Amino acid sequence: MSDKLADMRFIRFLLYEVNKIEELLQYPYHEDHSRETFDMAIDAAYDLAREVFWPAFQEMDREGAVFDGSHVAAPKAMHEIWRQCKEGGWFAPNVCYDFGGQQFPLSILAVTSFLFSAGNSSAAMYVNGAWGAAHLIESFGNEDLKARYLQPLYGGEWGGTMALTEPDAGTSLGDITTTAVKAPDGDHYLIRGTKRFISSGDHDLAENIIHPVLVRLEGAPPGVKGISLVVVPKRRVNADGTLGEFNNVVTAGIEHKMGLRGQATATLMFGEQGECHGWLIGEPNKGLSYMFQLMNHARVFTGIQAVAGASAAYHCAVQYARERLQGREITNKDPLSPQIPIISHADVRRMLLQQKAFIEGALGMILFCAKVADRMQNTTDEEEKKTCNLLLETLTPCCKAHVSDEAFKSITAALQCFGGAGFCEEFPVAQLLRDNKVFSIYEGANGIQAMDLLGRKVPMEAGAAVRALMTEIGKNIAEASALEALKPLADKVQEVQNAVIDVTMHLGAIGMSGEVNLYICNATAYLAMFSQLVMGWQHLVQATAAQQALDAGADDADFYKAKLETARFYINTTMPHTLATAQVLKAVERTALDYPPDWF
Amino acid sequence: MKIVVLVKRVPDTASVFKVASDGRSVELDGLKFVMSPYDEHAVEEAIRLKEKMGAEVIVLSAGPPECKEVIRSALAMGADAGAHLLLPGDTGYASRGVAEALAVAAKTLEPDLILAGKQAVDDDAAQVPERVAELLDLPHASIVTRLECTATAVTVDCEVEGGQFTAELPLPALVTAQKGLNTPRYPTLPNIMKAKKKEIRELTLDKLGLSGDRLAAGMTVTAMALPRQQRLGKILDGDTAQRVKELVRALREDEKVL
Repeated sequence: MSDKLADMRFIRFLLYEVNKIEELLQYPYHEDHSRETFDMAIDAAYDLAREVFWPAFQEMDREGAVFDGSHVAAPKAMHEIWRQCKEGGWFAPNVCYDFGGQQFPLSILAVTSFLFSAGNSSAAMYVNGAWGAAHLIESFGNEDLKARYLQPLYGGEWGGTMALTEPDAGTSLGDITTTAVKAPDGDHYLIRGTKRFISSGDHDLAENIIHPVLVRLEGAPPGVKGISLVVVPKRRVNADGTLGEFNNVVTAGIEHKMGLRGQATATLMFGEQGECHGWLIGEPNKGLSYMFQLMNHARVFTGIQAVAGASAAYHCAVQYARERLQGREITNKDPLSPQIPIISHADVRRMLLQQKAFIEGALGMILFCAKVADRMQNTTDEEEKKTCNLLLETLTPCCKAHVSDEAFKSITAALQCFGGAGFCEEFPVAQLLRDNKVFSIYEGANGIQAMDLLGRKVPMEAGAAVRALMTEIGKNIAEASALEALKPLADKVQEVQNAVIDVTMHLGAIGMSGEVNLYICNATAYLAMFSQLVMGWQHLVQATAAQQALDAGADDADFYKAKLETARFYINTTMPHTLATAQVLKAVERTALDYPPDWF
Repeated sequence: MKIVVLVKRVPDTASVFKVASDGRSVELDGLKFVMSPYDEHAVEEAIRLKEKMGAEVIVLSAGPPECKEVIRSALAMGADAGAHLLLPGDTGYASRGVAEALAVAAKTLEPDLILAGKQAVDDDAAQVPERVAELLDLPHASIVTRLECTATAVTVDCEVEGGQFTAELPLPALVTAQKGLNTPRYPTLPNIMKAKKKEIRELTLDKLGLSGDRLAAGMTVTAMALPRQQRLGKILDGDTAQRVKELVRALREDEKVL
């Protein structure tokens, strides 16, 4: 097992030198902070990730969550992780002081989530679930709900989930059948229905679990316009905050999964065995729009989890490649000469570089989004708020889908570095690969993300979202072009940006002509092309900061030189493929669209 | 009761170390610095005593300005205040000189108990705390794995080769911490925020009436090299004649020492 999960030097580079998050200190919400509090928080999170999360990584997989027919036991090691997170305030780093948080920026929350997920994604999800449920109630709940639920959720007293999927309604949420009927007495609703694939759905880590649940009220219109959001506690909560009786949320079972086996992924039955009470969050029939606020966080968090797993795998592979002796230099014909570490072979370094370049680009994309989210949350300038929102809308599917698709490939490369040993569960890489697979599936499968990007985000406000991003990219290309050493890289990214704009206009004309199926049928290829532009752009931004640091005579020159070369590797080896994908998209390849189902 | 904890800023041993271009020192650029791990046990023990019997915990560190980061992390664990003795240069001080400076600084803080790690993980000298105790004429105990404290005395279990002994020391006294003493806590986010507001007293050699002329090491490093990587051992099979043959072959062909 590697004792390194992430490159903290690179994370600091992104936070302070690329994203300049110290600018956030100008906002009153963060005024008590400084670079020092940020550093201490991410260092403490990294220590926890390495010393508490990571040692339980394989153990939690082997033990799994256990269902005895009525109750779910989380893996034993999870209890200590929960306790540490609760004591450390890790359920609510960004939350306001009044609800027990410390008002850290989302940029720091993104890094601490990344580090915990690199150590142990199953474990990080238990913590993140509570935060998500509380965040929904904080954003849309009434004062009574806030008073009852926020402190215990943000304080790590209780767990939380989000309950959307049903056995017959997954991607198609408009078809959910769980109902909520106004109780004849009191302010609550009576809930009936079954929810499936509920992460952290049941466990023994906390005395209560709070489920935000998507339901239909009586007489609600069909489809997505008739979905409401209710909060359903496992045990009811009295007005004074003490726990009341069991609320008839019954666990039907937990899944036996390919990965994330330490996670209790439950099927929950609401109100099948007695009255199950739920309380409406916000207004009736607006549930899906509320849930989407959380879903957008959850989608970026999925990208964070994916790249975190890739980071852990990469550092394992680097360590192995330094230690494993095999073969000799190609030009060395002496069979008696000592063998060399496999990192001396160019093809092994190629595999390591592929991973490193992916991780640096993906983290760049995610932390760019986090800073934009911080600005959106804090700025009082409506114009800036709007631009931030457009940028986030466009980049969220890229963070979710592209990062999870590429993270899986990245871990495949890490596993390959181990040779046959990688295929064995003795090393953690096999588990990292298994754990990572679900990230391309849950929180909206990647095919759906692609349709979201091309079908919803690209046409949004007559193309304003894409224009906002292209403006941002254009600014940075111009900045990089001004540095002689970066001009060739900037030109390549510029060429790809031109191609992406060209393809988007071309597809736009098809969409405008009413051929919606043709417009959307290559959405997955479009998302790949679009995201590679974003990754190339992020590498260019990082290369610019590195070049500026070198020009200013920075101390650790090797770090910046490595960064420049990693950016060069990504841009030189990926951008030509991106142009090829653009050609395919421009030709509007329609075989899959026309291929009759009977021919399979 | 007042407890002073001596902490040292050292490179994180998880870092990748390189020999500097002078061939005689460690390359400091790009290294991450942390509190020496044994000192974390000392800080933890001080905070536990504070929680148990009430005490003021002051963390004292001597070195370059960056030592304040290490003091802050002790404050984020729950120490009450810090004191930083600024020294010229950034590393490689002589144990004797540092101990003399720390003794004077510690005395101004009037401690009932001084705690420190049993040694720092950079030079592993295991010199400074005991020298401080001797200079202040305090009873001291080293490599402690258990500690009980009253208002007037401290009882400790000390590790010695092949066993341990128990000793009672009248306060004021100095004790150095070994790994088994406790498990250091992680800084919590609320404590990180509080740490920012806690006081770190600035001390200088000047203010303490010291010249600092004994800080330079009393030895000269002539060369430095990274340790050779450990190789796996190998047990040879077969009878004596076969094993000797295999050994000679391995020494000649694998290790190339014959």
